[in-house]
Amino acid sequence: MRRPDLRPGGYLPFATSGLQSLLQYRSTFLITGITAAAGAAVTVFLWRAVYADGSGPGPGGFTPASITTYLVVAQVLAVVHTNRVDDEVAAEVYRGDIAVTLVRPLSYPLVRFAACLPVIGANAVLVGVPLLVLFAALVPLTAPRPVDVLLFLPSAALSVLIAFCVNLLTGMAGFVTTNTWGVRMAKQGVVAFFAGQMVPLALLPGPLHALAMVLPFRAMADGPLTLLLGRYEGTAGAAAVLGHQLAWGAGLVLLCAALWRAAVSRLEVLGG
Amino acid sequence: MNRTLGGRLRLALFLGGVGLHRLAAYRLDFLLGSGAFLVRVGLQTVTVGVVFSHVPAVAGWSYHQVLFLLGCALLPRGLDHLFTDQLWELSRKLIQRGEFYRYLIRPVNPLFALLSERFFHPDGIGELLVGLVLVLWSGAELGLDPTALQWALAPLLVVAGALIHFSVKLFFASLSFWTVTSMPALQTVTQVSEFAGYPLDLYHASLRTLLTWVLPFAFTSYAPAVYLLHDDTGLLRWLPAVTGLSLLAALALWRRGLSRYEMTGS
Repeated sequence: MRRPDLRPGGYLPFATSGLQSLLQYRSTFLITGITAAAGAAVTVFLWRAVYADGSGPGPGGFTPASITTYLVVAQVLAVVHTNRVDDEVAAEVYRGDIAVTLVRPLSYPLVRFAACLPVIGANAVLVGVPLLVLFAALVPLTAPRPVDVLLFLPSAALSVLIAFCVNLLTGMAGFVTTNTWGVRMAKQGVVAFFAGQMVPLALLPGPLHALAMVLPFRAMADGPLTLLLGRYEGTAGAAAVLGHQLAWGAGLVLLCAALWRAAVSRLEVLGG
Repeated sequence: MNRTLGGRLRLALFLGGVGLHRLAAYRLDFLLGSGAFLVRVGLQTVTVGVVFSHVPAVAGWSYHQVLFLLGCALLPRGLDHLFTDQLWELSRKLIQRGEFYRYLIRPVNPLFALLSERFFHPDGIGELLVGLVLVLWSGAELGLDPTALQWALAPLLVVAGALIHFSVKLFFASLSFWTVTSMPALQTVTQVSEFAGYPLDLYHASLRTLLTWVLPFAFTSYAPAVYLLHDDTGLLRWLPAVTGLSLLAALALWRRGLSRYEMTGS
């Protein structure tokens, strides 16, 4: 196999065509938005009931406003992480279309990354922001300190990279099973739970909390949210969160690259 | 022979058996499908556990009561899942790709032909199992002692709940006759149905109204649960009417869709 071209220019067309195909189905954004709002509402109602009678900070040091912010922003991040990489890779492997893409002198994972960037951007702007505005209008949220917002932004960017790797690995399950739908469902559930979307990770009991700390998924929501809500101690605390994300980001990129090479080398596509 | 009820039943069993044979060929797929749902509902149960590790009661509901309600929500969902999952395919691609005609040329009712393709779909088994365990275990923990009437009604409530789930799914899947694909809409109502896994008392009044009278998921979990827990029949007495009307509305839309269906050529 030829070495793929790694210059960014070669991947630009995939990003623009991704954007074009996205804008053809604009109603998708509305549906994603309603679904995400309903998903966030379930957890917000549940946890606000837990913090309903307390006047000061409740369990885990959260106030009603800060736990609401945590859950809503976790849902916004989840929307930004829905980059369709898992379904598209799985579908291309399943149908055998992957053979065509392998003929190109480009790295397929990077093609996917380029193609999902506009999806991420559009989801953030057209779904994430309105979702945040909607909840801000309905329930009291915590206004973060400017410095925490500055820390949150790079952290959110890292979470996007990690989400891409997780989805790519999920899509690659198509090499081993035809039921990629089941794999995706399971992944969605596990990620939502261990990223902190259903329960803020600080509230998990001992063993579960330890498990959540070991898994990479906390870098997808809990990490950025720790920074946004200022729930860290000093510079060292913030650096630890970003360091954890960087380490998992790098580790997952390497894992993707290694698994991808192994998978492609044993791939057989039937003609037709 | 396919016209009689017995004939239909035989056919359903036969087709379900064909489906199960297919599963035996792809064992990993079977495990992944039901395993995925087991993981999801398992984590939802854990979420309830974590909530109650911090507070003794939420909106007047205790830990075991909420688990009982969650179990009540999972049973009809799993039962519906077991028999009507093919509706997802209808909303996703059958109309869009012009494949739907094949149900029209069979000598049975098209709806039956459509659903029979995925009878005994194993993805529902995970939900049914967790639901049953939750209801029995939390019922025992609460010291629930159902009356004879409650015992007799309980299976009917599960069936009615499954029929409501089926009606909502059929309604939104049938929209694809007009919109070609209606999968996003179906995904959204499925997400809304997740509200039914928790007590209605948690939610804002407008959301409660939506879940009771517009998308009547409250009747699949909340109404049966408060009846079995507190013998509260306030909502339950509407259940037959709501189930019947939901079914009628869904079937009417399905029939109208069928009559306007034209195959997209390709």
